[in-house]
Amino acid sequence: MGRIEWAMWANEQALASGLILITGGIVAVAGQFKGWPFAAYAIGAGVLVCLLEYPRGKRKRGSTMERCGQKYMTAVVKVFGPLTRNYYVRAILHAVLAVPAGFLLSTILGTVCLGIASGIYLLAAIRGEEWSPIEQKPPERPQLGGGTIKQPPAMPPPRPPAEARKKPPLEEAGHTNPVAVTAEAE
Amino acid sequence: MAPCGRSWLANEGSKHLCLLSWLCLNMWVFWRTFLLYYRGPQYYYLRQMLGLGLCVSRASASVLNLNCSLVLLPMCRILLAFLRGSRKVASRKTRRLLDKSKTFHVTCGVTICVFSVLHVAAHLVNILNFSVNYTEEFLVLNAANYRGEDPRKLLFTTVPGLTGVLMVLVLFLMCTASTYAIRLSNYDIFWYTHNLFFVFYVLLMVHVSRGVLKCQINLEEHPPGCFHPNTTLQEDIPVPEVFEEPFPEYASERFPGGLAEPEPFVQNNFVRICTEEPKFQSHFPEAWLWISGPLCLYCAERLYRYIRSNKPVTITSVIKHPSDVLELRMRKENFKARPGQYIILNCPRVSALESHPFTLTMCPTDTKATFGVHLKIVGDWTERFRDLLLLHSSQDTEILPNFQQRNYPKLYIDGPFGSPSEESLNYEVSLCVAGGIGVTPFASILNTLLDSWECYKLRRLYFIWVCREIQSFRWFADLLCMLHNKLWQENRPDYVNIQLYLSQTDGRQKIIGEKYEALNSRLLIGRPRWKLLFDEIAKCNRQKTVGVFCCGPNEMSKVLHKLSNSSNSYGTRFEYNKESFS
Repeated sequence: MGRIEWAMWANEQALASGLILITGGIVAVAGQFKGWPFAAYAIGAGVLVCLLEYPRGKRKRGSTMERCGQKYMTAVVKVFGPLTRNYYVRAILHAVLAVPAGFLLSTILGTVCLGIASGIYLLAAIRGEEWSPIEQKPPERPQLGGGTIKQPPAMPPPRPPAEARKKPPLEEAGHTNPVAVTAEAE
Repeated sequence: MAPCGRSWLANEGSKHLCLLSWLCLNMWVFWRTFLLYYRGPQYYYLRQMLGLGLCVSRASASVLNLNCSLVLLPMCRILLAFLRGSRKVASRKTRRLLDKSKTFHVTCGVTICVFSVLHVAAHLVNILNFSVNYTEEFLVLNAANYRGEDPRKLLFTTVPGLTGVLMVLVLFLMCTASTYAIRLSNYDIFWYTHNLFFVFYVLLMVHVSRGVLKCQINLEEHPPGCFHPNTTLQEDIPVPEVFEEPFPEYASERFPGGLAEPEPFVQNNFVRICTEEPKFQSHFPEAWLWISGPLCLYCAERLYRYIRSNKPVTITSVIKHPSDVLELRMRKENFKARPGQYIILNCPRVSALESHPFTLTMCPTDTKATFGVHLKIVGDWTERFRDLLLLHSSQDTEILPNFQQRNYPKLYIDGPFGSPSEESLNYEVSLCVAGGIGVTPFASILNTLLDSWECYKLRRLYFIWVCREIQSFRWFADLLCMLHNKLWQENRPDYVNIQLYLSQTDGRQKIIGEKYEALNSRLLIGRPRWKLLFDEIAKCNRQKTVGVFCCGPNEMSKVLHKLSNSSNSYGTRFEYNKESFS
């Protein structure tokens, strides 16, 4: 139990609660139930919660699965700095957002679920967890030579001094065999 | 690539057929219950009070009943292992369906969530209607205590309401903890919340016990909507307002009882006279009938597993392998396992509540009762387990080996449970592809072949093992060499075709070890080229059915699945079987 990261679970719960709030709110507004202004509020709160919770935070150990297209929201959420990084703030925010939706029957479940998510965020905050954005890795440059060249040489090879570079005069006619050949006596 | 041909049908056909029949069953159950409440005369008065919400909530409730009972069945692992093992009970096609048991469980679970949303929404409307359409005529039908009672009070103070809310919360916790991301990163959260299912079932049993919705039982003496000579019934029943405006099409022609007009039966040209007041009774809770069977079966299985795993195993040896792998050899009385099966280890000294599955790499045989697992050290449980084991084995060697053995931590095992790899011995030709530590199910197969290979249907085994580090091959290098030598001696050198691939290399180490000549010459650098491999196997085994077994990373298994589904020009059929761990 020692290494559980509660924030990830709280994030899933908050996202689901946001969706529940939106659904309950839409039903109440469409049906024009008594007290539908609360439902309109619930829709707004639900949308805010969903947008805030959509980008998943980075795990402390191991790699984190990103949600589809979350990098745009990550940029927005990152801007708020400590307000979104700290989980105490999130816990209090969710608790406060949840309360008004509890007055209407169709959004009451959303309230309870968001309340649970707020509680789990509080637990995560007490254990010192923080939200950190998942950064995009810079694309690796394709290596020349298919990766077989590990350390290409940085300096040119040493060259002999200028006089030695002059071509030597042609040898006399006569080809020297690289391999000694003895003519066979016939 | 267009998925067509014999291969695709062999691989995907029965799975899709099963899904289709399950879907049809659900739709039939929903439709049948909907019609019963929509048209049934015994629900006439209730329908007048609640409207469409009654039909939708009851129909979704019956779908929920069906799925809550079906969701438990794939989790009866002992039963599934038994079905897999007995050749008489099931054909290979049915056994392959058992591979998809976890997927079926997830499908039923998702259906439960979706229909719960529908059920809750419909019941919230019902609660509103119970409050607004409180009837003084038939007091026993009411769920509210007086007209206009606060619907939230009805929700939280009645037994069905309160149990319903608690069930939604439990379902919410279970559902949010079961997503793929959570299972991959924090398996503990998934495991502990999923065990709340028992609370869910208890609440479900209590939820249906009150019988709030009642049906009329004296239909002959009091046909619904009839004319009572002393009192007129129609004017006293108010029109449910909530229901009239949004659903204008549900006017009098739909409901034969006539909702909006006070003279319904003038159109019918006859007036029925009733002799007595309607009597109402709640029917027997259907959910108890649906749920009790599978729940008892599952509880019986858990009890059996608990009793069987109560005796600890005796650890005979602990062997350390390169690349963070530990081999554990054990013995237990009356333990029988087939190659390819897995067991669940529980070590109370490491963690009282956690248990982890490991595939058996060596099964007990008639002559040798020792069995073994290979564990890769990733994560805190395996790290602590390794520390406990190695600490004890590095004690003073002057102490007798028996004494050393008694110092090992107590270990309990649960199982064995079946897995798709068991089938590899039942094909004439099998292709086994392993990635890294995924070689463990195939190691037990190879161990079994080392014992005796003639008695199985298998005639040729293609064994492909892909690893990142060259030292990983040492886990089973001895086993592979022994098997290779034995088959050479018995004049079947082509029985096992071994190909080892080193997927990442810095070019330095090229051999596994000097004494593993047979393996060094079969070591290839780079990733395997699957298409060429499949073509080669198809060409050498024309018109046969080749069993493809994969245990490794998801990308690899996706590629193999796709290749198994595609057709080839040699008439060879590839049947794909996959092992899944998370």
